[in-house]
Amino acid sequence: MSNQFKNLNRRDFLKKTAAAGALGALGANGLITQAMAAGDTVHFMAWSAAVDLVKSHVAEFQKVTGINVNYSNAPWAQYRDNLITKFVGNAPIDMMWVSDAWLPEWAEAGWIKPVDKFDNLMKYNAEAEKFCNDSMTYKGSQYGLTYYTDFMAFLYDDEALKKAGISNPPKSWDEVTEQCLKIKNAGIAEYPLMLALAQESWLIEFLAAMTYSHGGNFTDDKGNSIMQDPKEGAVRALQWVVDAVHKHKIVSPASVEIGELTGLKAFASGNHAFALEPKYRMRTLNDPKQSKIAGRVKQALMPMGMDGSHATVGWMRFHGMSASAAADKTRAENTARLIEWFGGKANGEYKFQKYLFTDIGAGFGVKPLFNDADVQNAYNSYADVNIIKEQQALARKKDVVTPWFGEWNEVHGSSWQAAILQKATPAEAMAKAGKKWDELKKEMG
Amino acid sequence: MRSSPKRDIKFRLARRFDYESRSAALFILPVMSVLAIVAVFPILYSFYTSFFNLKLTRPHRVPFVWFDNYIKVLSDELFWASVSRTVSFTVMSVAAILVLSLSIAILLNESFRGRRLLSAIILIPWAIPTVANGLLWKWIYDSGFGALNGLLFQLGIIDSYITWLGDSDKTIPLISNSFVWKEVPLAAILILVTMKSIPEDLYRAAKVDGANVFKRFIHITIPSLKPGFMLVMIYETMMAIRHFDLFFLLTEGGPAEASHVVSWQIYVETFRNLSFGTGSAMSYILALVTFALAYFIIRTLGSKL
Repeated sequence: MSNQFKNLNRRDFLKKTAAAGALGALGANGLITQAMAAGDTVHFMAWSAAVDLVKSHVAEFQKVTGINVNYSNAPWAQYRDNLITKFVGNAPIDMMWVSDAWLPEWAEAGWIKPVDKFDNLMKYNAEAEKFCNDSMTYKGSQYGLTYYTDFMAFLYDDEALKKAGISNPPKSWDEVTEQCLKIKNAGIAEYPLMLALAQESWLIEFLAAMTYSHGGNFTDDKGNSIMQDPKEGAVRALQWVVDAVHKHKIVSPASVEIGELTGLKAFASGNHAFALEPKYRMRTLNDPKQSKIAGRVKQALMPMGMDGSHATVGWMRFHGMSASAAADKTRAENTARLIEWFGGKANGEYKFQKYLFTDIGAGFGVKPLFNDADVQNAYNSYADVNIIKEQQALARKKDVVTPWFGEWNEVHGSSWQAAILQKATPAEAMAKAGKKWDELKKEMG
Repeated sequence: MRSSPKRDIKFRLARRFDYESRSAALFILPVMSVLAIVAVFPILYSFYTSFFNLKLTRPHRVPFVWFDNYIKVLSDELFWASVSRTVSFTVMSVAAILVLSLSIAILLNESFRGRRLLSAIILIPWAIPTVANGLLWKWIYDSGFGALNGLLFQLGIIDSYITWLGDSDKTIPLISNSFVWKEVPLAAILILVTMKSIPEDLYRAAKVDGANVFKRFIHITIPSLKPGFMLVMIYETMMAIRHFDLFFLLTEGGPAEASHVVSWQIYVETFRNLSFGTGSAMSYILALVTFALAYFIIRTLGSKL
């Protein structure tokens, strides 16, 4: 041991350690501040989906543009909380994936900013589905470009229908009842229609699809609740579900504890003839490795209710820009370039949306991709691309996405379940959901 | 020469706390500091938060609202309905735990072949992590492919599958059953330990006086078990009132509001709605109620047992 260390007494040791620590802290702080201020690194946060694909697309972006990207991800279940905590703590985030359900909340909080001023992003609107553009728009401003999109689809097991002597899938909800009863009476399925109505994030998508196809709405053009209206609201759709469970017994009373994934497995096991499922699940359902009814699952347009249409609900996730990125010209421009690289065209084509579709079956929101030969071949191997295109064009944005959506959604989901459990009538259940909406709108609107 | 006030204080402190005390304080200082940061500060800060309308998604508007959050919570119908469900869950769970754990303790207190093996088997539910326990029961109760329906169907007890957790009348009892299954082993061990400490002489003397097994149980065993019973009752009551995991894993508060208990409401308010002000107020109400209940049990039942 050198003399230098031999002569080091306790007091000196403490002094030097403290000094080194302080210098280190200052240095680290300086480096972080420098990195944050530099603006040549885009901090990109996403949930942990298609991670390898994202990484390779980021790598290509870095190579082409020379802009450094710091990509990180968090599981979907914790993503919203994770990101909100980061926003509140002013963590460096420039671009992030956003769910349409969070847009008003995050925009009102000032965490994300519109991207309208970037012409290189706005030019893609002409080729995007209307509900996609609508879903990224809040108070007249657009907040990003499509990451992926999908809609609720009405699926059926073609063989089960044929066994029951049914040649065409139902066009209306009344026909759904008739065909289900036929299938049930033939002993093919105890509960021919699978509805997954457990209290989870998917629930609103199922309920909105039922409501829209029955010709109903949750709110009017001014955002006032009309869900409790017997004709224009969601009461008719809910009444249909209650009758399906208790009067016709074509939907399982256990549907209130069946989540989307459990429902998918039950349908894939051949326990049902019809199901409401996100469209992208068709790939799984027609895959022999994952489904007993592979090759038999087809899509029909969403059945119509009285005064209804084939409308369904569509949802989307998009690439958004943070407020901190928007505040700095260079960071904002770099972030907009990365948004375009992912949500728009990269090297002249909608590369990322196409990759997502061909790799994991996630839906895209730009119409030209329907004409892509690879996309058509992939779709036609397990679905009918024309029906998908037709149904996607009829998809609608949820009319309840507001800053108070989450709080209302808890009560709304419970209200539907209460009616299905016959603890309330459909009118009472929707009145409760409507009342909650009005209270929250008054408080936060 | 007059001493300075600073030196005065130092001198007084040195006289009051001797070298031993000062050394001890120095040694426990690191632990106390950590506790202050991770426990005391959050507790005090959440109390402070409960007086603000703090919603994380509205970061620029955080008004001080005095007791408004408490008033809002206490005047909410849903909160009182949750309280009622929490009471039902707690009463049925604690009653079942006490009866079952006492029975198991009596059994394990006897000498028979395989007692040690049985003791080990009985401890298994306690050793299973809470999340695994929840998932296990989720599979058992599933209406479509659950083991419970499968068993009852194969035994010919039911002729078609029953809806379990999806039936709002069965939800709380079924969750309580899962809770009891996990909690009974610990309660049984605590009662058994108390049972083992009862002096053998008491039983011998009672036998000499002609007391039969039943009388010995009523007049010696039960009164002697008072400390163990009290411990189990207070501990399990507190666990049941605050219990969250099974409600989260099995039903997420549903179906409808059938399993919407207070702990679930706190979770929804705080972590889903991100209303930290109201969530903190609810947490303090729950903490106060738990504390009051424990005090009530000790003061009333404690003297009678």
